[in-house]
Amino acid sequence: MMLSIENLEVKYGNIQALHGISFHVNKGEIVTLIGANGAGKTTSLHSISRLPPPEAPRVIAGDIRFNGESILKTKPDQVVKDLHLALVPEGRHIFGNLTVMENLQLATYARAKGTDFEPEYQRIFDLFPRLHERRKQRSESLSGGEQQMLAVGRALLTGCNFLMLDEPSMGLAPVLKYELFRKLKQLNDEGMTILLVEQNANLALHLAHRGYVLDTGKIVAEGTGEELLGNPEVKKAYLGG
Amino acid sequence: MLESLIQNIINALQWGSFYALIALGYTLVYGVLTLINFAHGDVFMVGAYIAFFVATFCLTVLGLPGWVALILVIPLTMILTSLVGVTLERIAYRPLRKKGAHRLYVVITALMCGLILEHANLAILGASRKAFPVLIEVQVYNIGGVTFTNLKIAVIVTAFLSFLFLHWVVTKTRIGMAMRAISYDKFAVPLMGIPLDQIIVVTFILGSGFAGLAGLLFAMSYPVLEPYMGALIGWKAFIAAVVGGIGDIRGAFIGGFLLGAVEIMVVAFFPSTFRDLISFSVLLAILTWKPTGLFGIAQTTKI
Ligand SMILES: Nc1ncnc2c1ncn2[C@@H]1O[C@H](COP(=O)(O)OP(=O)(O)O)[C@@H](O)[C@H]1O
Ligand SMILES: [Mg+2]
Repeated sequence: MMLSIENLEVKYGNIQALHGISFHVNKGEIVTLIGANGAGKTTSLHSISRLPPPEAPRVIAGDIRFNGESILKTKPDQVVKDLHLALVPEGRHIFGNLTVMENLQLATYARAKGTDFEPEYQRIFDLFPRLHERRKQRSESLSGGEQQMLAVGRALLTGCNFLMLDEPSMGLAPVLKYELFRKLKQLNDEGMTILLVEQNANLALHLAHRGYVLDTGKIVAEGTGEELLGNPEVKKAYLGG
Repeated sequence: MLESLIQNIINALQWGSFYALIALGYTLVYGVLTLINFAHGDVFMVGAYIAFFVATFCLTVLGLPGWVALILVIPLTMILTSLVGVTLERIAYRPLRKKGAHRLYVVITALMCGLILEHANLAILGASRKAFPVLIEVQVYNIGGVTFTNLKIAVIVTAFLSFLFLHWVVTKTRIGMAMRAISYDKFAVPLMGIPLDQIIVVTFILGSGFAGLAGLLFAMSYPVLEPYMGALIGWKAFIAAVVGGIGDIRGAFIGGFLLGAVEIMVVAFFPSTFRDLISFSVLLAILTWKPTGLFGIAQTTKI
């Protein structure tokens, strides 16, 4: 088990957002976390990334283990640097005042100096050719889809082998959605472990090996992608009947 | 006529250099944290005192010749002053940042830190002024009726080199890239594996280090030190940074020299008691015309 969340309870101030959730991700898997708006999906990812309050919540009970060790005391930059666990946050959060290339370069900040990152930049550009065309542009000027690709490319350049994505398909045209999901599949085939948060349950469950359904801070269903797709309750609540 | 113009330009450049060196620190910290570090003028004052003690130690205790002392005083003053800035960040600003305190409280804290520095100085060293020792012989040159000193030239050259250095740091280095990234989106910086606090500390090191350098140069040029020497010049440098477009280091630099130029021009035509009144009025007019400052393009374009 690469990542395991054990009876996790977290609070924002006095408001509890997760009420003892447990789930895990094995190496090489794509696992999806689905649920309605406000269910606690982003909260879960922020907790795993160990982001500090006020954006992220405080853990009050339970544990987050990575390769068997608790990471509750790990700093957010160490999660990326030492655990190679990266997050593509909701809303992308690219650095709009930097160029596309600078965004990518910055992602290598914590990695060994003197490494030749050229092949890795090339890999990102192969994956997302649009980024190559626009590499000298201020990233603010990119379209929503291109910004999402940059956010993913940037996360990959941190040298991660575990990628978490928070609603990456939000705001993308259907064609781009499918393209993005194909790229995620490709990354997974190349060995990347993926934890995917989505409101678009249908798409996510088709891609993922396994999934969990989150509702107001509790896990209410779990199973393989197929099981959840066939689950009548899930169908009714998240797949439009 | 021409001589007096050139003379005025040199004087404007000298004063502009002091303002610019201090304004750079305001703008760096603001660019990264959107924090107006109102203690910065007093960090300049502390820098002047640090330079005083280091210089006196080198001259009297070590018995070094002035120019050797100066070579030691420059880096030591910058390092020790940057430690003061880092200490303020550590004990005053960081705890507030971790608690997510409203900006108003952080600004008030900065003001109080400045007052504490001033009054700690007063309490520890007393009200008497200190005379800064002579480190290098001031040479007066006179070319075609224009007089200037080696010290003035050194001040101006130092300000330009400092600007070029900081501009290089911000635009070309990875740490500068991280500083710009923080100014745009603090949230995503740790997600790149970048320790946020470390970049913030570097920002304070740079800002305070150059305030210390300004303190040293100022003390060498006007060798009388007193605890409140940083207050007015600090305010002026802050205003210069805002007029230039706070958050942009080119703005701080241009703003500093602009203020220097306006002041010298006012004094050339009016009684010197009008200096601050008229120059602040001019800056106010500039801000009314362009509220984001000369280089302030948009809210998001900082440093
Ligand atoms: N920074 C925050 N401060 C306070 N409450 C928050 C914060 N972020 C999220 N919440 C609350 O926590 C709950 C879960 O939110 P979130 O994790 O963002 O949901 P999701 O990502 O599933 O839409 C919601 O009730 C939300 O209002
Ligand atoms: Mg969310």
